[in-house]
Amino acid sequence: MKLNRRHFMSGVTATAVLPLARPAFAAEKGLMAIITPSHDNPFFKAEAVGAEARAIDLGYETLIMVHDDDPNKQSELFDTAIARGVNAIILDNAGADATVAAVQRAKDAGIPSFLIDREIKESGIAISQIVSNNYQGAQLGAEEFVRLMGEAGNYVELVGREADTNAGIRSSGYHDIIDQYPDLVMVAQQSANWSQTEGYEKMETILQANPDIKGVICGNDTMAMGAWAALETAGRTDVIVVGFDGSNDVRDSILAGGIKATVLQPAFRQAQIAVEQADQFLTVGSTGQNEKQLMDCVLITAENAAKLETFALSA
Amino acid sequence: MRDCLKSLAVLSCVALLPVACKVVKTPDPEAASAVAQTDEARMAVYAADIWDAKVLPMAKESAVPLQELKAEIAANGLDAVGNAYGLRPEGEANPWNFVSSGEGVIIEANTQSRAAKLAVDIDGNGAADLVVQLGPVVRGTALRDAMPFIIFSDFRDQIEFAKLARALNDLASQSVTLPEGDLVGRRVEFEGVYTLRNAGDAIELVPTKLQVH
Repeated sequence: MKLNRRHFMSGVTATAVLPLARPAFAAEKGLMAIITPSHDNPFFKAEAVGAEARAIDLGYETLIMVHDDDPNKQSELFDTAIARGVNAIILDNAGADATVAAVQRAKDAGIPSFLIDREIKESGIAISQIVSNNYQGAQLGAEEFVRLMGEAGNYVELVGREADTNAGIRSSGYHDIIDQYPDLVMVAQQSANWSQTEGYEKMETILQANPDIKGVICGNDTMAMGAWAALETAGRTDVIVVGFDGSNDVRDSILAGGIKATVLQPAFRQAQIAVEQADQFLTVGSTGQNEKQLMDCVLITAENAAKLETFALSA
Repeated sequence: MRDCLKSLAVLSCVALLPVACKVVKTPDPEAASAVAQTDEARMAVYAADIWDAKVLPMAKESAVPLQELKAEIAANGLDAVGNAYGLRPEGEANPWNFVSSGEGVIIEANTQSRAAKLAVDIDGNGAADLVVQLGPVVRGTALRDAMPFIIFSDFRDQIEFAKLARALNDLASQSVTLPEGDLVGRRVEFEGVYTLRNAGDAIELVPTKLQVH
């Protein structure tokens, strides 16, 4: 395996296709690849920024790449990372099933992967899988939603991208709470694929068919922002919207009396922990932790929203 | 030709026989989980398997009298007491879970809500020292996370793991039997699990044992 890696490396150096292949200041500890979905969503940007800052602190050089939720592109990025001979890969992946093969390929090339935010469907391939306790977080969001709704009324659920485990788990956490209240009636449930634009479009259509809705619960903040924009356009700012992520956009909306609540995932810290565990694994050969780790989420309302900044809550 | 077909038919009947036998075999837990297809059903079977055998013994073994624990937290802080008596999965952001037992007086009973609760006063000052969650809506994952033999890495994903938390909460809720009539003012003995994020947080106990006198 080692031989294979060196072979790739020399190939890259010889042809010098990648501008960063020969850094002016060689980092002491090596190179970490940080692969996430598109930075258009501030959540993923915060992950990348958090991971990069910690990696540089710890003496690594970084290679930041985005897969745009495309498993094929992710696969190519893994090839690039392997070819560049990175020491570790920090990954927020492009699909629980599709990612297994890519992480296995890195492992076969001697490169450990440390996953954040999203799980893959197998254990024993990545070294760490650090994810938010989405179920616990969704329950928090749902409890607040139920309270805001007064335990009754018609509502809509916008769910995330189906290939992503987090879409299912949040929906499941929401319904484990909401379905216990028989006077809360779900009149529409649609996927808006985590996207703000789709959130807007779906909300517009749903609202036309169901003008009598009282609330919208969303699987993430970008969809919540899209739904809120559609509701504002339709003059329906009376509708209760709850999101999930804890983005600065939703924070500002909460403080301005728009969206009512969200659930903070400690994305910034999570990315840093992944880098720390990667560093520990590379230095001493073990992270000292179980592969799969959960990090609890925090409910954000008008009460504590002001303390929220870039997916972290100040004391 | 006909003979040949006949013997083939007989042969295949014979061949099918053992298979048919397997289906009527006495059910064992493995067969039950093989039949249960959804995550929810499989985790309900698993939770039922471990409830009496492992969960209840673990709770009994780890229980610390609630007032003692509260006094220690006040004196030494949450982390010190957590390290001594707490149960939690590894990882930075995991809060402590504790198992506590005790006895007190019910000062408030909400049994109509889907999230039914009892408020219990232990020290007789008229204020609630803890809330017992009766369900069927039970908050949190304390029961699952306090069990050291339940490890997230052993489960396919968060969905399966969440269904296990729900199944354990359901068992806790189902195992509670309350007497008829007004509960306020009656004595209650309890043992159960709760999550404590901060030292001063309200205790919302998920019961593993509850006896109203």
